[in-house]
Amino acid sequence: MDDYSKLSNNKLWKSLKEFHNEDDVLKMKHDEFLDGVTDEFDSSKLSGISRRKFFALLSASAALTATACTNYRDKGEIIPYNKRPEEILPGAANYYASTCNGCSLSCGILIKTREGRPIKVEGNPDHPVSRGKICAKGQASILDLYDPERLKAPYFNGKETSWKNVDSTVINILNETQKNGKQIAIVTDTIVSPTAKKVLDDFTAKYQNTKIYSYSLVNDFIRRQAWSECYGTDEYPAVKFDDANIILTLDADFLGNEGNYIENMRKYVSKREVVDKLNFNRLYAAEGRMSSTGMMADYRLKVAPSQQLNFVLGIIYELNKINPHLQLDKSISARLKKFSLLDSADGEKFKHLIKDLNDNRGKSIIYAGDSLSKDVHLAVNYLNEVLGNTILYDYKSSFKNIVKHSTKEEITSLINSMNQGKVGIIIHYESNPVYTMPKDFGYESALKNVKTVISLTVSENESSAYANYTLPTNHSFEAWGDAYAREGFYSLQQPVISPIFNSRQKESVLLSWISANPNSYQEDIYHQYLMKSFNSDVFVKANSLADAKTFWYSALHDGIVRKNGTRQITRFNNIVLNNIKEIIPGNNFIVHLTESYFVGDGRFANNGWLQELPHPVSKITWDNYASISPITAKQLNVQMNDFIEVSLDGRKLVLPALIQPGVHERTINIELGYGRTKAGEVGKNVGFNSVELMTKNWVYSPFLFENASIRKSEGSHKLVSTQEHHSLDDTFVKDFHYSRKIIQEGTLEKYIKEPNFLNEEKENLVSITNEIKYTGHKWAMAIDLNKCTGCSACISSCNVENNIAVVGKEQVERGREMQWIRIDRYYSGQPDNPIVSNQPMLCQHCDNAPCENVCPVNATNHSPDGLNQMVYNRCVGTRYCSNNCPYKVRRFNFFNHRDHFADAYYDNDLTSLMYNPEVTVRSRGVMEKCTFCVQKIMEARSNAIRDGKELKGSDVVTACQQACPTNAITFGDANDPASQIAKLRKHNLSYHVLEELNVKPNVTYIAKLRNTHSEEK
Amino acid sequence: MSTVDYTRELSVLEGKPPLRELDDLISKPLETKPNRKFFIALSITLSMTALLVIGLGLTFYYGIGMWGNNIPVGWAWDITNFVFWIGIGHAGTLISAILFLFRQKWRTGIARFAEGMTIFAVMTAGLFPLIHVGRPWLAGYLFPYPSQNSIWVNFTSPLLWDVFAVSTYLTVSLIFWYVGLIPDLATLREKTTNKIKKIIYSVTSLGWRFSNRHWQHYEMVYLILAGFATPLVLSVHTIVSFDFAVSVIPGWHSTIFPPYFVAGAVFSGFAMVQNVLIIVRKIFNYEHIITVDTLEKMNKVMLLTGSMVGYAYAMEFFIAWYGGVEAERFTFLNRALGPYAWAYWIMVTCNVVSPQLFWIKKIRRSIKTMFVIAIFVNIGMWFERFVIIVSSLSRDFLPSSWHHYTPTYVDGMILIGSFGFFFTWILLFAKALPVVSMAEVKAVVEGSQPSHKDH
Repeated sequence: MDDYSKLSNNKLWKSLKEFHNEDDVLKMKHDEFLDGVTDEFDSSKLSGISRRKFFALLSASAALTATACTNYRDKGEIIPYNKRPEEILPGAANYYASTCNGCSLSCGILIKTREGRPIKVEGNPDHPVSRGKICAKGQASILDLYDPERLKAPYFNGKETSWKNVDSTVINILNETQKNGKQIAIVTDTIVSPTAKKVLDDFTAKYQNTKIYSYSLVNDFIRRQAWSECYGTDEYPAVKFDDANIILTLDADFLGNEGNYIENMRKYVSKREVVDKLNFNRLYAAEGRMSSTGMMADYRLKVAPSQQLNFVLGIIYELNKINPHLQLDKSISARLKKFSLLDSADGEKFKHLIKDLNDNRGKSIIYAGDSLSKDVHLAVNYLNEVLGNTILYDYKSSFKNIVKHSTKEEITSLINSMNQGKVGIIIHYESNPVYTMPKDFGYESALKNVKTVISLTVSENESSAYANYTLPTNHSFEAWGDAYAREGFYSLQQPVISPIFNSRQKESVLLSWISANPNSYQEDIYHQYLMKSFNSDVFVKANSLADAKTFWYSALHDGIVRKNGTRQITRFNNIVLNNIKEIIPGNNFIVHLTESYFVGDGRFANNGWLQELPHPVSKITWDNYASISPITAKQLNVQMNDFIEVSLDGRKLVLPALIQPGVHERTINIELGYGRTKAGEVGKNVGFNSVELMTKNWVYSPFLFENASIRKSEGSHKLVSTQEHHSLDDTFVKDFHYSRKIIQEGTLEKYIKEPNFLNEEKENLVSITNEIKYTGHKWAMAIDLNKCTGCSACISSCNVENNIAVVGKEQVERGREMQWIRIDRYYSGQPDNPIVSNQPMLCQHCDNAPCENVCPVNATNHSPDGLNQMVYNRCVGTRYCSNNCPYKVRRFNFFNHRDHFADAYYDNDLTSLMYNPEVTVRSRGVMEKCTFCVQKIMEARSNAIRDGKELKGSDVVTACQQACPTNAITFGDANDPASQIAKLRKHNLSYHVLEELNVKPNVTYIAKLRNTHSEEK
Repeated sequence: MSTVDYTRELSVLEGKPPLRELDDLISKPLETKPNRKFFIALSITLSMTALLVIGLGLTFYYGIGMWGNNIPVGWAWDITNFVFWIGIGHAGTLISAILFLFRQKWRTGIARFAEGMTIFAVMTAGLFPLIHVGRPWLAGYLFPYPSQNSIWVNFTSPLLWDVFAVSTYLTVSLIFWYVGLIPDLATLREKTTNKIKKIIYSVTSLGWRFSNRHWQHYEMVYLILAGFATPLVLSVHTIVSFDFAVSVIPGWHSTIFPPYFVAGAVFSGFAMVQNVLIIVRKIFNYEHIITVDTLEKMNKVMLLTGSMVGYAYAMEFFIAWYGGVEAERFTFLNRALGPYAWAYWIMVTCNVVSPQLFWIKKIRRSIKTMFVIAIFVNIGMWFERFVIIVSSLSRDFLPSSWHHYTPTYVDGMILIGSFGFFFTWILLFAKALPVVSMAEVKAVVEGSQPSHKDH
């Protein structure tokens, strides 16, 4: 009971103690607060921090913690224009006309700038010669502007200095040298700018001991010399290849890199027309190496470069035989004889050639290469005279020669003076003679005897290594200039960005030295000079109604000013024929040095894009090599990549061999421009320096040497190509491009007889799924294989437009190059003289794209206007799409290539300025591929919407299409029946690659027709 | 030789061990402290796993470029390893599910271990789809989850089917394995004196009390799960084969792939189980539980599946010729004669020729020879996947894009590491759980089942 009573007191109990009402529990219940809690507190014992201070500290630490946790990186600031420059509209590109400085051809360019920074170079359509096209080098030259290794300030003996110091000391030295009677030598590259020439003349006038030397590694010196002997002027005319029915080239890569090849290509393909009209020329190429032109030739004759004179004389002999009416000069008829080629395997082709030349008198042209001897040029000039082909010479557009190339004697005397201490100053005026001059000149050692060496250069090179003063000059996109490369027009170059570094325009540097006042330098000093010179030389003569200022601005806007070309035709001087020295070619090897297709004479060595462009024929990247014939390789027991030693009178070069089908058995072709030792991180020690093989005492020409001996050397060097080299005679893999219908070709004759020959075997493919109908626009491309010369301008243009990464040699070797478009090259026929087929290959944007259905995350899918799209954000990188692509045109970022290549060479704030802001820069682990320049489609679409017009297919010009010098690429809306692309898709010669897979590609190829005789198979 | 009496069921176990002894023997590794040998073995496998970790570290830090993969060979050792390990994972479920349904009692000695191997092999295989992607941190995109971008996965992609197939297979195998473990865990609970172990076994045995009702439910669940797992054995590798068969690439685009892949998977799975069991029975003295008779039966399965694989190889060639597609013809000629011919002939020798030796009874019953042959089979099956993937991709339609594939050291590290990963799990398993099903083995001891003859 007792318990129950207690229970009533404590209905709820927490412990047995409580239940039993023990004492301490009762006490605790009584004292509501524990001991001490209710005591008064002593403020002196408390912390001294005030309440305000406590809150301040609390909030400060909270703020600090919050900031520390935000992972804040300074990403720079984006500030809108406070006051927008008049000409800049954010998001819209501006184009400025200018002149390309990449070589002496001076093509017209349009530089595309976005928010003040140049991002792309395109051809200037108003330019009378290049007509909106530029080559691969020109396209990629923008990378040089943003080269992180450009000189950033003037240097004196390796130490940074100021321009003011440089100016004052150099002016003193110049005056002193002048006083001492010592020579001031300016060594320059080929100069095409009349105003620069004027500056040099002014300089010479001021410092009268000045001598100007013009020297360039690759030049047309011999052609000019021969022309001058035949016709009394060294300004040789352009050739109207577009009027020629028969073209015979003698070791002349006129479609590759000789003459104005952009112009040549355009003119050549004007007679390779299959679409609107059938209009064909016939190209014969007689060459020892395998060149771009050789790849295009209808008939390719293998002639060693040393035999070319005999070959020409042989042609004249045969012509004379079938056509006795030819009025031959006595001196020539005396030495005519049968050419041995007639009896060789190429005899049949030779007969065709003779007949064609005879039937097309006045409508054919024989064109000799720049590297052939003067005698060949003389004989060729004569042969063109005899055949009446001189009417194809275009004197209105002849090649100007503003500063003559220095002769061997001039350079030798300079070097002698240097060695004797008679030269006080050498100025390398944007030139690199240490690299480009043959070593037996002894320029390099002579430089040590010159007290003051000044290098005016954009970035360090072999010559600036010897310079006391290394002075940075503006890149051509930061510089004013002009060019007078061809009769008939004058072109202007304008800066499109202010100098990025502390560099100066090279002409301005000279001008401030001319003024002899170190304080006279103004940034626009050359700009003013150029305008003045323009006024006096161009404006005054133009008889324009406009005032000088308007005229200047309109010239600047157009980039060119047309002039009336003076037509000087002089008679052929028969006496020169007596000068032709007959050299009986020996049976030794001939070394033929040619300019690199993409790094030129070495000036583009530090341009990763150009180093990585596959060679048009061999597809080798990042190297040069000795190109030898399969027979020679067998004789020497040399495999691909093996080192061979080439020796020429004691000059030796060890370099890897490339077995190149089609090369003459006794010809060794090596490219110049490689093996630079001081060219920046990218360019140094790439390839082998074949200048080592050159000599000042040449017999044929500076680029051609007989009596070479070659032998197998120790070791090998891996040559890396983007296309495997399959042995041509390996029946296992032979002619797949034909049997798989990758390449479809025919002869002109067959096409005329049966226009539908290509479609006869075509099967009707049935789809088992419902086809998606494209009702609006449907983007498509057509590539005319009759016109593709493999020049690679499209690849270069695409690289720039689409921010394609450079991956480097090791990655190309691993098969990880990133170029979105490639040019596939297939050989067929015999390995000693193969038939070559080129095919640009890019994403085919298939209607039934096999890549799309296998992507697990839908990162690649189809747009309603027929594009195969890549969503980079969504891509996880399974690479399944690439595996399932029959064309293997997808490219995977195996690394963050910008970070991976050459120690993050192109991953810096400067190079990042170059990126096209409209195209995502892809990160590692992401698949990418050709987008049909979707950013350009979007731009055209928004323009159409803005203007309230319907978007037309022709409004969109893809980067490759824009660049193609032969207009082989057509892009447009296949659903527009009036469009060119719709027409091409229905053309008799159109086909798709791997049609039988029924993936329905949207890139149509127009089959190549070869203009051969029907007997030939 | 005496004639076999087919009217009498052969004993699965050798001798007639007392049931208690079986329990003790099987649980012995769990009750003893790991010895030196165990630690040596573990240190080897862990070192190999470290290679995997380093290899993956390099891959994640720098990118897939650390491997030899290229364009056109987008997949190489990564997917070779994936298919190889998935294949290894096929024996377990086949043994425990299909053979269970067929009432093959000889499976009892090996089923538990094979199932364990399945799980570990699938876990190893499962690494590869995740690590082979260029951006593994986004691998979650492969799962269909509602996202604010309303982007859904692509259900037409075989790679997505893989995700479902493999994860389903792993889940079902895991459940199946666990259900089988329950009675054994209860036995262990009863046996152990260690407090912690007791708690763990009590929890994991889910209150099993060996009651008749429990056994009835257990048998039913096991049967249902076996029925559920059986189609998976066929479907998983079928779907893996779709990765290739659905594509357009010659050498991949082939309708023979599903049965051919399943046969190959069972083939390689049995070889791996046989290999590992030979070691296990030796170390743990299970010779009378995992008998030579059992191993011989496994060899017979290998002989059958090996011949099926050989038939498939021949049929691929025949169809390539008969189909008349030039590119496909070349692909197969190229396999046998091209730059990867060495890999092809390793594959043929190991997979087709070597198991044919199992026709000979002596070889079939010799532990040493069967061990070597099974190793050959494993090598051959790895090469089969390599040949299919790499030789087809390296030379596909356009000769211009052909490119040779050469592996890098990171590829090697990942391959070795995957073995390390797998065997680490195996070692831990052998020490932590009964590798032979006590309950099932006890049920097949002679005389343990009621029989009318003895009465």
